[in-house]
Amino acid sequence: MIEVQNLSFGYKRKKLLYKNLSLKLEAGSIYGLLGKNGAGKSTLLKNFIGLLFPKDGKIAVNGFDPKKRWPAFLETIYFIPEEVYVPALTIEGYKNLFSPFYPAFNEKQFYSYLDQLDVKDKGKLNSLSFGQQKKFIIAFALACNTKVLLLDEPTNGLDIPSKIKFRKLIASIFTDDKIIFISTHQIRDLDNLIDRVIIVDNGELLLNASINDISEKLCFKTVSELSNLDEILYSEESLKGFSIVTKNINTEDSKVNLEHLFNAITEKPVLAKAIFKN
Amino acid sequence: MRLRRNQCLQKQFLKTKKSVMNNTFNAKRFVLLFKKTLLEKPMQMFGFTGLIFLFILMLYYLMKTFATFQAAQNLSFLWGLVGGDFILASFVFNYFSSNASGSSYLTLPVSNFEKWLCGVVIAGILYPLVFLLFYRIMDAGFVAAYHNSLDPNGPFYNIRYDTVYIFPFDGRIPRLSYPMLLVFSGIMLMGSLYFNKVALVKVALFITILCFGIYGLNYLFASFMFENLDDAFPFQHVAILVGKEVGSVELPKNVHDPIWYFINWALPVILWGVALIRLQEKEF
Repeated sequence: MIEVQNLSFGYKRKKLLYKNLSLKLEAGSIYGLLGKNGAGKSTLLKNFIGLLFPKDGKIAVNGFDPKKRWPAFLETIYFIPEEVYVPALTIEGYKNLFSPFYPAFNEKQFYSYLDQLDVKDKGKLNSLSFGQQKKFIIAFALACNTKVLLLDEPTNGLDIPSKIKFRKLIASIFTDDKIIFISTHQIRDLDNLIDRVIIVDNGELLLNASINDISEKLCFKTVSELSNLDEILYSEESLKGFSIVTKNINTEDSKVNLEHLFNAITEKPVLAKAIFKN
Repeated sequence: MRLRRNQCLQKQFLKTKKSVMNNTFNAKRFVLLFKKTLLEKPMQMFGFTGLIFLFILMLYYLMKTFATFQAAQNLSFLWGLVGGDFILASFVFNYFSSNASGSSYLTLPVSNFEKWLCGVVIAGILYPLVFLLFYRIMDAGFVAAYHNSLDPNGPFYNIRYDTVYIFPFDGRIPRLSYPMLLVFSGIMLMGSLYFNKVALVKVALFITILCFGIYGLNYLFASFMFENLDDAFPFQHVAILVGKEVGSVELPKNVHDPIWYFINWALPVILWGVALIRLQEKEF
């Protein structure tokens, strides 16, 4: 479990990126962290892993204080940054040097994930393309079987088939005792993968809700004309009229459109907060 | 009831203590880290060590050919031990030049103390030992070659034979070099945690400015106090020209000794200690 209490963080003391942010992430969910560029998505992830320290407030990840960077803590969490690091080693060499630090590492799974992601053993890792390097690190991270997996823009640099394979793989390895936390601005890549959405903007937590909760409280549909403007959180002109996000007054069933959801929440944060408060 | 509570508290305390200890140092984990550090960037670790040794070999050869054996021995020892270790120390924490490698290094499940200790072992123990071994073999080889080149029946054979001997590791230059090694590698380890990019160049520049700054300031103060100043070495002596002779004013022993004890022993401990604290507080 990840528990954030009144987190304040800023690269400069006087200009805080997060102020009094509180958040609770339970095991058994795949979280999607959405936010604009510079909203502080990577910063939040770095606070979770202990690469950055809160200015105020507390963070506890599986009962550990990330700031201490204790080995017992780092064994239970894996962070894949947007740009990955691979030394001039072969796949075998990397596995031999790095896997012993992760007690739950599974070699069989590792090779299976490499196979599923189509990563071929072609000599030194640093000579692979960026996408291949990223897929290699994803396979390694998944095989480490850590309780928490933090992914920062994991699909950046992946081609379309790889993105699909990535989604399939994440879905297949997920178990109820894990937290997978994916930060991205490529919202469509998370479609059908995440079961909880977190939206941050201007250092504020605007939404932390499950997909079920969102589809219960909001309705995503296309209408020919706009009416009840007060109830509409977001509208966008489309071929068939207007795609809208509105309060789900009539308990309609609709598929959550993450892109529209994000726009709705960031454009009308006060209304969105009021809807999700209850 | 109270006894049982005390026992419970004691158990809890011991458990916490064990956990803290295990999260600070674990021999198995340390060995894994040490192995990873050496093998992860073999070209950097072994390649540069090889290059340094090659440079020292050439320096020794050139100096003995164009200057003297003593100059070759002193200079190659000082540069090989202190300079070589300084360069190698810059590789130990050389992960922060990119976001990816810095994150990977700091999130590796190893304690900050173990990461620091790995640097201490490589820069403070392993390299100096390997260098001393290399130096002894190289020096013995050159000295033996020189001795063999002499004609036993030639004039001054014994005198010429005795002027060149194997460099003792407890002489004046080595005794000066060992503390220098600890101070310079300490500065480099600390500096590579402060400067994320091109730390080696920045730290080398910093040391140069610092040394020249201290020397210049000392010279300036000495020139205010003494006329006919010839030379002034910080914390040691001031040389004054008296007619054609040079006289030396040395720091009193009761001032000189504590200062040099501080520079030789306390300063390295402080520098290496600050490197550990910096690593613990490193954000990336």
